[in-house]
Amino acid sequence: MNTPVQDTGAQSETVYNKKSYTHLSKQQIKASFVNKLFKNYFLFSILTLCFVLALVIFFIGKTAFLTFKDISLAQYFFSFDWTPEEGKFGAALFILNTLSLTALTLVIAVPLSVGMAILIAEIAPKWMKTIIRPILDLLVGIPSIVYGYLGLTILLPLLRELSGESLGDGLLAAALVLTIMILPTICRISDDAIGAVPKKYREAAYALGSTRLQSIFKVILPSAGRGIIAAIILGMTRAIGETMAVVMVIGNTPQLAKSLFASTSVLTSNIVMQISNVEFDSTWNYALHMMAFLLLVISFILILFIRFLGRKGGAES
Amino acid sequence: MKFFKKLSLVTVASAVLLTSALAGAAWAKDDLKGKITVNGSTALLPMTLQAAKEFQKLHPKVKIAASGKGSVTGPQAVKKGIADIGACDWDASIDVPGFKAFTGQVANKVAVIPFATFVNKSVKVDSLTTEQLKGIFSGKITNWKDVGGADEDIVVITRSFGSGTRVNYQSKALDGGDIVKKEKNYKEVGSSGDMKTAVATTPNSIGYIDLTYITGSDVKALKHNGVEATTDNVINGKYKIWSYGYYMTKGQPTGATKEFIEYVQSKKFQDSSLKKLKFIPISAMK
Repeated sequence: MNTPVQDTGAQSETVYNKKSYTHLSKQQIKASFVNKLFKNYFLFSILTLCFVLALVIFFIGKTAFLTFKDISLAQYFFSFDWTPEEGKFGAALFILNTLSLTALTLVIAVPLSVGMAILIAEIAPKWMKTIIRPILDLLVGIPSIVYGYLGLTILLPLLRELSGESLGDGLLAAALVLTIMILPTICRISDDAIGAVPKKYREAAYALGSTRLQSIFKVILPSAGRGIIAAIILGMTRAIGETMAVVMVIGNTPQLAKSLFASTSVLTSNIVMQISNVEFDSTWNYALHMMAFLLLVISFILILFIRFLGRKGGAES
Repeated sequence: MKFFKKLSLVTVASAVLLTSALAGAAWAKDDLKGKITVNGSTALLPMTLQAAKEFQKLHPKVKIAASGKGSVTGPQAVKKGIADIGACDWDASIDVPGFKAFTGQVANKVAVIPFATFVNKSVKVDSLTTEQLKGIFSGKITNWKDVGGADEDIVVITRSFGSGTRVNYQSKALDGGDIVKKEKNYKEVGSSGDMKTAVATTPNSIGYIDLTYITGSDVKALKHNGVEATTDNVINGKYKIWSYGYYMTKGQPTGATKEFIEYVQSKKFQDSSLKKLKFIPISAMK
C-alpha cells in the first residue's frame, strides 16, 4: 500500500545527496525507517479510530436494544405517548418531530443557500466574492450554543412580537435557528460545486444564444446538481444532530408538534434534557439510548447516500 | 540528545525526591488519608467544592474528586460504588414523587436550600397561594387575571422530570400537586441557569428556582401564601419551600468520608463558607 510513498521518499533522498555518496546508504536506511514508522503510526491511529467507532456502535446498540425487553417495538415506534414516569415510552413523536423539523429547516434553508451560492459563484463581482466567502467560512465555525443563545434572546422576542404568541418556542423558532446554522455550510459547498462546472459549458450555452438566467438554470445547476445535493445532505446531517441550539428554543415538551408555535421536543433535545435525570438500569435510560442509536443510524444512512452520490458523479464525468 | 535525556531524568528524579521529602515533613503529623469521590446534585456542587478545598488544606493526604450532573445520579453512583458520597437535593433513602427509595443508604444533612416561585418582571402579581400555584402548574389557571393580575396568558416554565428542584417544589410548594404539560405556553428547561434565563426573557412567565439565583431586575420572587421568600422566614419557620441538601452514603460513613461529612456539618464551615454561598446552616433549622 505504501510502496509508492516509500519510493518517492528514497528517491528524493537520493537526489538530495548525490554529492555525498558515503552518507547515502545510512540516510536511505534512516529514511525508510522513518517512513515505516510514520506508516505504522498513522495506520495504528486509523485502526484505533475504527475501533472507537465500533465500540460506540456496540455499546450504544447494546444498551439500546435492552429497551425491547420491557416494551414492544410497536409501542416504541408507533405510540405518541412519552410519559416515562408512568412507563409509557412512545418515541414516535420524537421521530416525527425530528423529521418535520429537518424538513421545515430544509424548506427555508435550501432555496436561500443555493440562491446565495449562485449569486456568489456566477453573478457577484470579484471583490464581493473575496469578502463573502471568508465571512461564510467564519460562520460555519461558530459554536452552536452561540446560535442557540442568540435564538433565545433575540429571535424568540421577535417571534413573540410578530406572531402574538406569549412563548414563541417551537418548531418554527428551532427551524430558523437551524437555518442560520446550516446556511453557510450548504452555501459554501454548493458554491464550490457550481465553480467546478467546466467553463466550456457556460461558453457553449452563451454561444447557443441563452441568457444568463437560462444558462444558470438549464446548464450550470443541472451539471452541479450532485454537488449541491451533497451539500444539502451535509447541512441536513448537521440539522438532525444539532442539540444545544435546538434545546434552547424548542420548549422541550415531549408532545407531537401540532402547530409551529407549540412547545415540543426532538430526538436530540429530549436525550440531552433527560439523560442526566434517569437511573442507570431503567427502561427509560435504555429508551434514550435507543433514540441515540436511531440518530446514529439516520446519519449513517445519509453519509452512505453522499458516498453513493459522489461515486456516481465521479463515474459520469 | 543524550545529554538532554540524562539531564531531564536527573531533574525529574530530584524533583520527585524533593517533593516527597518536603511532603513527608509537612504531613508527618496527619494520618488521615484516602480518596473521596462526590457525585450528584449541581445545586450542592459549589458547597462541595469549597468544602473540599478547605478540607484538603487540613488533610493533604486526602484526595477529593467532586462532580455534578443531576440529583438522582448521586445516590445512583453510590449504589453502583462509583462514588463515596452522592449529593442529592432530597432524602433519597425514602420514596419521593417519581423516585423510589435507595435502600441501604444513609442520608446525611449538610445544608438547607431555599427555593422560590419567581416571575418575569412584567407580572403584576406579588403573592400566590398554594391552591393558585397548583392551578397554574396543573394547567387549570391559564390567565394572570384569574389570580389578580393583568389579562395576559400565563407562561409556565418548569424543570424537566427528575430535577431535584422540581421534586422539592412539587412536594413543598404544590403540596404534592402535579405539573402537567400543555400544548401552549409551557416550556421545560434543563438547569437552574436556563430557568433563570427563560423566565427573565419571557414576558408573563412563572417558574421556580433556588433562592440564591433570584437576582437582578428582570425577575422577582413571589410571596408564598403571603410569606416573603427570605432566609429569615425559612429559619423562623414561616416559609415552607425549602429542603435539606443531603450527602448520601452506603451505610454509615467511615474513615475519610466520615471526617469530610463531619467537616461540612461543623459549625466552622456552616457558619462561614456555607453562609457565604447563600445556603442556610442546618443548625439554624432547629
